[in-house]
Parts: sequence; C-alpha cells; structure tokens
Amino acid sequence: IYVVDVLEAIDNRDGSFCAEFLSFKHPHVANPRLQLSNPEEKCQQVLEPPYDEMIAAHLRCTYAVANHDFVEAYKCQTVVVQYPLRMAFQAHKEDNCKKKKKFLWKMCVVMGFICQAEQQLQKKGKGKVGDMLEKAAEQLMSCFRVCASDNRAGIDDSKKWGMLFLINQLFKIYFKINKLHLCKPLIRAIDSSNLKDEYSMAQRVTYKYYVGCKAMFDSDFQQAEEYLSFSFQHCHRSCQRNKRLILIYLLPVKMLLGHMPTDQLLKKYDLMQFADVTKAVSEGNLLLLNEVLAKHETFFIRCGIFLILEKLKIITYRNLFKKVYLLLKTHQMPLDAFLVALKMMQVEEVDIDEVQCILANLIYMGHIKGYISHQHQKLVVSKQNPFPPLSSIS
Amino acid sequence: MSRNRSNRTRGAVNLHLQQQKPEAENAVPGPQGSCTTMCPLYELREREAHNRLHRFEILAGTEKDRRPRADVVRTVKEYSRPAAGKDSTRPSDLRPPSVLLKTTCYLIDEIAASPTLQPWTEVYSFVFDRLRSVRQDLIIQRCWGPECKAILERTVRFLLYASFRLCGEPLQLYDPKINDTHLQECLSWLLESYSQQHSTDTTQSQSSAQEEFHALNLLYNLGSTQMMQRVLELPMSMRSSPSVNLALLVSQAFVEQNPVRVLRLARRLDFLQVCALHRHIETCRRKLLLLYSHGYNSRNCRFPVSQLAILLGLDDALTAELCNAHGVTIQGQWVAFSKTQFIETPLTQLRCVKMHNMDMKQKDFNIRSIINGSF
Repeated sequence: IYVVDVLEAIDNRDGSFCAEFLSFKHPHVANPRLQLSNPEEKCQQVLEPPYDEMIAAHLRCTYAVANHDFVEAYKCQTVVVQYPLRMAFQAHKEDNCKKKKKFLWKMCVVMGFICQAEQQLQKKGKGKVGDMLEKAAEQLMSCFRVCASDNRAGIDDSKKWGMLFLINQLFKIYFKINKLHLCKPLIRAIDSSNLKDEYSMAQRVTYKYYVGCKAMFDSDFQQAEEYLSFSFQHCHRSCQRNKRLILIYLLPVKMLLGHMPTDQLLKKYDLMQFADVTKAVSEGNLLLLNEVLAKHETFFIRCGIFLILEKLKIITYRNLFKKVYLLLKTHQMPLDAFLVALKMMQVEEVDIDEVQCILANLIYMGHIKGYISHQHQKLVVSKQNPFPPLSSIS
Repeated sequence: MSRNRSNRTRGAVNLHLQQQKPEAENAVPGPQGSCTTMCPLYELREREAHNRLHRFEILAGTEKDRRPRADVVRTVKEYSRPAAGKDSTRPSDLRPPSVLLKTTCYLIDEIAASPTLQPWTEVYSFVFDRLRSVRQDLIIQRCWGPECKAILERTVRFLLYASFRLCGEPLQLYDPKINDTHLQECLSWLLESYSQQHSTDTTQSQSSAQEEFHALNLLYNLGSTQMMQRVLELPMSMRSSPSVNLALLVSQAFVEQNPVRVLRLARRLDFLQVCALHRHIETCRRKLLLLYSHGYNSRNCRFPVSQLAILLGLDDALTAELCNAHGVTIQGQWVAFSKTQFIETPLTQLRCVKMHNMDMKQKDFNIRSIINGSF
C-alpha cells in the first residue's frame, strides 16, 4: 500500500508528499511490514525505474535502522540520495524542478538523521564516524554543486533555493568534525548570492547561527554578536531548545563586549551557569570566576566555550583594578595595591613583575588610560575617564 | 576530495602527508612485510650497483673504490615517492613492525646520537629521510600497534630536538617548514592512535608517554584553541599530570597575553619541552616589548635594563640587541619605552639561536636518552 501511495505522489508531481514518504520522521518507518530486507520485487511490480530502486533502497534502510545496523543503513541511504541527484542533474524543462529539490531537502534531513545515528557507532569503532561524516559531507557537496550551478530555469524553479538548506546541513557536519575552515567557501557563496534575504526565516536563522558561531571561534566578536543576535531575535518563540542553544554562544560574546545578561533571562532559558560568571566578572572577582569555571567546566567544555569564557579574565582584571582605583581615590596608585588585590583573589604565584605585565596589557588594550612609572612603582592614570566603558573598546 | 596535484616539493609533501595516515584500526589489514633487514636486499644491490649509497652506509675501507660496497648492517631503506606503475607492496620489500622499530632505534642510537658523525645537518638529513621510509612502511602495512607508537614517539622527539639544534642553519641544509610539516603529521597520527586505545588497556608507562606527548603537542602549537580544547577534553587524570598541567598553564598565560608569566613558567620546562616551545619564545619576547612600550610610555621613563633582561630570560647584551632591533631606546643602564617608537618587525635579522635559553647547556644532555625517552 505504501508503494502505491508513493506512485500516486510521483504521478501527481507532488514533491512534498513524496519527500515525506522518504523521510524518517514519517510514521511509515515504524511499520514492520515495510521493514523488508529484500523489497526489490515488490517495488518493481508497482513503480517504474528509477523510482523502484530508490524506494527499495529506502525500505532496506528502514530495515537496517530497525535492527540498529547503522552502517548498513548509511550505505542504503547513500544509494537513495544518488537518484534524486541524478534526476536533478538531468532535469528537463518540463519537469517540475521544485519537486526534485524537495526530494533533495528531505534526503539531506535524513542524511542528518543518519549522522546522529552514527554517533552511536562511536562506541564501537572510533575512526569510522569521522570518515562517514566526511563522506556524507562530500555527497552533500555534490548536491550543492548541482544547485549552485543551476543557471537554466527561471527564478521560481531554480535549484538555487535548495542551496541554503544544503549549506546548513554541511555546516552541521563541519562543526561536528571540527573542520570549520571548510565553511568559508560556503559563506562566500551565500554572501555573493542575490537570494540571500529571500530564503525562509527558519533557514536564515540557522545559517546566521552557524556563521555567528564560526565568527566567535575566529575571535571576531563584533560580527559574532551581530549574527547571533539576529538568530536569537528571529528564532521562533516556540523553539525554546534552539533559542537556548543560540544563547549559549551569544552570552559569552556579549559579555566580552561588556554587556552582562540579566538573571531573568538566564532563568527563563535555564542557563544559570552563566549567572555566577556574570556576577564574578562584573564584580572583578577573580576568585569566584575561577571557582565557577571549574564548577561548570564539563558543561562549558562540551559546548566549546570554556576557552572563550577564560578571555573574560582580562575584563575581570579590569573591573578589579577599577575597584582599587575607586577605593584609593587617587590618580597615582602604588603597584603594591594591585598586588594585594590579586593576592586577596588567591591568584597563584603572582608577584610585582606580573602585576606590571597585566597592567601594561590593560593599557595596551585601551582598558586603562595611563602609564606605569617604574621609578615610583606607581600606576598613573588619566584624570579623565581612566577606565573607559567596555563597550567603547574592541 | 580532489586537489591540484603538483610536484613542487612542499606542495607535494603536504599532499602526500594528508593521505599518509593509515585507515582506521579496524579496516582491512594491509600487506604483511617479510623483510628482516633494515634495507631490502633488492634495493641494497641496486643502490650499490649504481653508486647511490649514502656515506653512512658504505662498508669501511671501500669508500675510495670506484663502486663502494654496502655495509649490510648499516644500510637502511630510503624513502621513495610513490609512483604510478611502481609496486610498493611487495612483502619482501616491506619491513614488519618489529624490524621497523629496530631500524628506528639504530637510526637514533647509532646515527643521530653518534658523537663522531659530522656535520649534524647531514646526520639530520639522513635520519629524516630514513625515518620517513619507516613511516611509509607502517602506512602501507596499516600498522597501529605498540611498535607504531614507539616509532612515532621517537620520531617526534627527534624532530623536536632537530628543530632546536638546527635553528638558524641555512635553508638548503635545514628547512624548518618541512620539519614542521612532518612533525605536525607525526604528532597528530600519534595522538590519534592514543585516542583509539582503550583506557583500560593502558599501562602506567604508556599513560606517562601519552601525558608527555599531549604536553609537547600543546607547547609546540602554543595558542592553538583547537589543541587546547582537545587537552581540556582529556580525562582528569591526564589533565592534572604535571607535564600536561604545566603546558596548560603556559598556554593560558600566552592566551591571556601575559608574556612575563609565559617566560617565567618556561623555566620549569624540561629540555625537550623547551625545544617544543622555543619558536614561540621569540614571539613572547616581542610581545613583552610591545606591551611595555605601551604600558611604560612616558617622557621620563627609566626602566632598568638588568630588570628587563631578567624578565626576558636573556643577558644584558642580548637584551640590548633585541631592544635595538625593535626600536626600543636604551640609554646606558635604562630603557626608555615609547609606544610610538616600537617597531613590530625587527630591523635587523635576529638570530633565534643566539637567544636560545642560555642556561640550557645542551652538551650536558645525552641525545640518545632524550630521544629514546629515558631521561
């Protein structure tokens, strides 16, 4: 019956229906009668080539997944993708190109699903996962090239609409295998495309999320803030999980630029780990900062933001020293005062030489306006605005 | 992935190295070598006949002959580029892992650590090439076992030591870029083979080797977020080991832009760790001068040269030389820092080797024990 449904969808050139039948989120996957190891015969009875082979491969795939044989499932999936790819490549003008694109879209989502499944393989054979993800990426790239080079059809039918979707899937993989530099040509492709603002909001949100994350890892915090903020603001209210994910990366960036989040925001998205970080940084409390980073280390490391949060140390130094300035109420502060402050924060093995270095660094970065006098062992700061606001720097 | 195949040395080296890691451990096993000597007999006879033996391989007494004879116990298989039509998988030409390990030890103990073979640039070239051939045999046979790790460990130590000892040598005798490429490849191969090993199978000496190399990798790639992230993901027992912990502290100080701290912590490193770090030390010193040029920038700045020397880990004379190269003015015993006068790229070509940590008396160290890891 399933097979007949597929045939009907194909005949009606109904792309999205077809795509659903090939998707793993559709209920048909759970149907045990469809989980056959050799469905070819049944398929050949009803469908014409190449659809029969494609559907057969898909059914083999569901069988494999049901048996937790993800390696086999992946192999079948690879076969399935070949068909729409070939068809897309040879598309005639009268064919509805959009249909095939939707095939591709769903194909890719399924691919993505398979990638998740591959994580389970990690427990068995470590080397394989990365290889499989790379191969999946290669397949997606070939799909992408087909879309990108589509200059024939008119704008409505153009395969270029599929580009952003494919790119988002590729980003997902590249982030997983930690090869971020491969994102660059894709970003360039979208930047130069004239369709970039016409894609659906959901796709744009995902795209900006990945590009924002990449900018953050490249230490380009201004751009990271711009992209991640867009992503966060335009992410649909109902997608709490996604919003939280974006926030995990947006928060460190904003903090580095001097904007601390409110407790209210953190509570709403269950990110209280950042609450203590915020408190520590704004108070200049190095001791607390070190404690918090150690306490939530596992979480931060897993998200890959531990190293970025460590950069907040410089801002914490700045806030601490500003406190010293406010306490002493003078523009010529003895270096010893700072040393005492650091020792109170239980910073290990720090002496006057290091204090001078930290101060020199803050001056160099523009966080302090002034200079150190070695002869008098004092920090001399400007009478006007010696600690410029954080948002005006970097 | 398709890449432009060119035959320029460096480009080709890069390409070869990208493809030179053996496939995953559980993949189909490769051909099994059966050659029991360091050099397959076929190649030995061939090179002997065409007078292509290295002088370290020639039988004593036959050097002046028109066609010198090969010394069977000292001839080592050389590296040869894979080429179309050339079959590099003949078992008689491949050396099994146990022979490869013996070959590596020979190269280190008898050649690299030899007190008599000179000049060391030539020793380096020979050992570098022969070790490369060892790795080639490993790859073809798809070895991942304990011999493979032992060979890689020694190779990494050798390349690190070489990067320090040959620093500053003319380009035709030693190319730091090529050394670096191979070093990075060996390091990542070694670390990957560690990660494939289950923690329950690791003995005490194996885990201390792992700690050693994670630390060396971190120091060699100072400032790399990727490497730091990898170290942070290690199990706590490894992260808190003295070598890894120290390497992390150095990295963190570097990222925090605290060169004073970096140079201070560097004094606690052992010899091989200094070798790994040394190319970054120049950067740190330059950073220090830059930061101080801004931090101490005032008209009547007087910073004692001797104090600066201590911070930089150099003597007064070298300190003065470094300052002059970066536009930092010295008046007698005092340094007058000025942010407008500091120059990023040094005016004169600074020889890193002169700055090599002066209290590191290299002659006191036994090369053999350094590279074999037993010091």
